[in-house]
Amino acid sequence: MRAETLKGHLDFLLLATLADEPAHGYRIIEELKRRSAGAFDLPEGTVYPALHRLEQGGLLASSWASGSGRRRRVYRLTASGRRALGNARREWRGFTTAVEAVVT
Amino acid sequence: MNERYLRELSAELGAVGIRGARRRRILAETADHLLESADTERFGEPAVIAARFADELATGGAVRSGFRSFAALALAGAAYAVLFALISTWPDITSARVLPLALVAAVAMVLAPQVAFAAGLLALARAWRLRSTTAAPAVEISILRRRAAVALAAGSASMVAIGVYAYAYSGGLPGWWRDLAFALSGACLVPLAAAAVGLARTIGLRPQSVGPTGDVFDDLAPLLDRVPLQLRGHPWRLCLLVAAAVAVAALLAGGVDEGPRNAVAEFLAVWSGFAVFGRFLGLRT
Repeated sequence: MRAETLKGHLDFLLLATLADEPAHGYRIIEELKRRSAGAFDLPEGTVYPALHRLEQGGLLASSWASGSGRRRRVYRLTASGRRALGNARREWRGFTTAVEAVVT
Repeated sequence: MNERYLRELSAELGAVGIRGARRRRILAETADHLLESADTERFGEPAVIAARFADELATGGAVRSGFRSFAALALAGAAYAVLFALISTWPDITSARVLPLALVAAVAMVLAPQVAFAAGLLALARAWRLRSTTAAPAVEISILRRRAAVALAAGSASMVAIGVYAYAYSGGLPGWWRDLAFALSGACLVPLAAAAVGLARTIGLRPQSVGPTGDVFDDLAPLLDRVPLQLRGHPWRLCLLVAAAVAVAALLAGGVDEGPRNAVAEFLAVWSGFAVFGRFLGLRT
């Protein structure tokens, strides 16, 4: 899938990926790829600016975590992020239902 | 390979104004990522990644500054309104401790709040329009920053002017009003300063995204598109309309004695404000 197609949905996808548990950048990218069966294969570096922006906007929080001799920045949803995800999910379901009704 | 990539990314981040702790964090996260996947090509060109960081962080920062500036100005505006509502008789203009200082403060008390209100409203309008934008064009961000900066500077000048006025006319003003003026103007300077610090933190970022500037007709489209006049593309017509509306309001509020004089003064103030700040604040090209 082209990166441009994903652009408008990246925030929603990142929030959804972090809904279950906190994760670091590389794991988020891998999880996106895995859940979409390889369809969401983003230019990897473009995910980090979005993560920083979402954190700046209060939807994500992050902290350094140590393990296996490495320090990694781990992201998690905030309460605002969880609310935003809920709203985005509702909007998305309404949109896809409407599109389905039109195109099928 | 990774070392060279990180050096290039570091330089590119510096070139777009990302330095200090933010740059160190981005480099640490990138280094960690590249330990898992050493494919720097898949990660992206350093210049592209740095520009993306600058675009997204600058957009978010400018939008938040627009909202925070307006919130701080709303508090200052409320304080201003309370102080004006609580006083019935103003002291004789010549009774000031230091007359030139008092006159400057009096003029600033009248003009600066109007500039702050107009610039703050424009900052709010653009912040609202860009609130869902992840990476706005650099020129759009620049105008939003300018509006917020002018609004905060004029708002702070208003609060300082109130304090100076209360000091200069302390002999002719009720003691409680003077004390309240000191307390409120001082208290309102705190959120204004906090908003200014927030704005200053993002101002070093140099977004790279190219696109249209956007004008006041885009910012106020939900409002202006309802006006049954051909305003889009005619900023001076908009100025005339706003000046006339403000003059009518001043005429009605001022009554028979002061209304006509106030109306003319307000009309000229709006007109000259538009002439002086219009281009800088993105009201006209």
